[in-house]
Amino acid sequence: MWISKVHDLKATLFLLAILTFGLALPVGAEPPPPPESPIAVPNPASDLWRAVRQRSPMPHSVTQVEGVDTAQMINTSGETFRQYRRQDFVGAAGWLLVGVPVAILLFYVIRGRIRIPGGRSGRVIERFPDYDRTIHWFTALLFIFLALTGLTLLFGRFVILPLFGPEAFSVIASASKEGHNLFGPLFPLAVLLLFIRWAVRNLPAGRDLVWLFKGGGIIGNAHVSAGFFNAGEKIWFWSVIVLGIVVSVSGLILVFPVFGQGRDIMQLALVVHGIATVVFIAFSFGHIYIGTIGSEGSFEGMKNGYVDEAWAKTHHDLWYEQVKAGKPIDMAVPRDVPELHEDEHPGVASTEKA
Amino acid sequence: MANMKFYCDAERCIECNACVTACKNENEVPWGVNRRRVVTIKDGEPGERSLSVACMHCADAPCAAVCPVDCFYTTEDGVVLHDKDICIGCGYCFYACPFGAPQFPKAGAFASRGKMDKCTFCAGGPKETGSADEHRMYGSNRLAEGKLPLCAEMCSTKALLAGDANVISDIYRKRVINRGASVLDWGVNYDKASLRAPRTTSGKATGEG
Repeated sequence: MWISKVHDLKATLFLLAILTFGLALPVGAEPPPPPESPIAVPNPASDLWRAVRQRSPMPHSVTQVEGVDTAQMINTSGETFRQYRRQDFVGAAGWLLVGVPVAILLFYVIRGRIRIPGGRSGRVIERFPDYDRTIHWFTALLFIFLALTGLTLLFGRFVILPLFGPEAFSVIASASKEGHNLFGPLFPLAVLLLFIRWAVRNLPAGRDLVWLFKGGGIIGNAHVSAGFFNAGEKIWFWSVIVLGIVVSVSGLILVFPVFGQGRDIMQLALVVHGIATVVFIAFSFGHIYIGTIGSEGSFEGMKNGYVDEAWAKTHHDLWYEQVKAGKPIDMAVPRDVPELHEDEHPGVASTEKA
Repeated sequence: MANMKFYCDAERCIECNACVTACKNENEVPWGVNRRRVVTIKDGEPGERSLSVACMHCADAPCAAVCPVDCFYTTEDGVVLHDKDICIGCGYCFYACPFGAPQFPKAGAFASRGKMDKCTFCAGGPKETGSADEHRMYGSNRLAEGKLPLCAEMCSTKALLAGDANVISDIYRKRVINRGASVLDWGVNYDKASLRAPRTTSGKATGEG
């Protein structure tokens, strides 16, 4: 008891001293010395436990239990991971994935569908051969499947579980996890195929800046020049490649926990995987919109491979001229396409085909 | 209702690993799963200490917070358990747990994670108490038999304590008093005296210490 009383007295005097002298002291004068630590012998274990909590360098630790990270007594990043996951990520991801479709819907209401000026010509030219469409839809279906299963694991607890109950949701979530893990490793292959097929055609060109500057002709009706791929498509393509690599690498770290990767690396991988995929999905909404209802005549290029000439002239005029001229220019057209068009006259097919 | 806690006294733990072995035997956990482990810091150096670590049955458990299928629940005794019929083996609880408690048997192809397994405070699981299913999936339910977790029950130095938080902290408090007041300056660190020795205590605490 007396210790605390003496201590209280000391503290009071100290406070009094600050109030009386401290205010009177000129600026820059020596502050009064801090009170001496009243603990003569501090807890000898305190340094050790500070180290265990990794507030200071962790001392060497061992355990006889085999496994990765088993010798680590306290996983201090766990709470950070939990805070991030529950407080920051789920909410932000939810808002993004709801906000982007709402924004697209608003855009659709205001701008409406981008029509082909002057209507269709009735003549079609080939845009995406079978192989191109195959790898596109392979990637697209894989992407949608992985997105749905991944989002089930991310939001299911808050959205699906309250609707169906824990038992039914467990079946859904378990199937999602197994499906996600089974088909996920195919995604790097899809990204690789896309890269090999379309990387050259997506190299940036000077006219892409002009295209971007004019907003791609999406707003207003200004005419914008573009080759086989316009700047918007190129940005999407390189986003797919970069995000695809990030998502694939982080996903592979998570799906095969057998290479001795530690808990911290897997935490980081999950954080990166989550953010990258949510951004990826948000991006894909824009791609899906502009490829389907957003722009008249776009979808048929990926559906059956042929687009209307008027559509090509509007959106990809340089490519259209190349096809008409029957020769490849600046790698904008794959080498086999001109030959193909020379066989059956310069890129013209019957309307019935479309 | 009790509020069950583990406490491991680092001044007493001798790193014998008997708690680990007892746990494996009592709960018949799968190969490669260790619900409890002993970690030794500064091994062979001055100030070496060992602690037996397992699920600490957090009041606000991070594993339960990050679980995508919400399979964790806390019993009336304050024991954090999970339902293996609901667990999908994603591993998020392992990332969030401060103690590395969640374990995963290598179940599927490429050693993918099976359903999570962790210390149950020898309190079984959501299956019918005492049933064969409960024992197969979750191990012993000693709590239902009026016993405490085996790891703590058989600890030779009584370093590992298990039981109601109030009882555990009483025991530990007495030990600390016995070890000498100079270790912790009560008047300074615990001004509210909640942990101060009883008035009758002078020097040595009565009872076990």
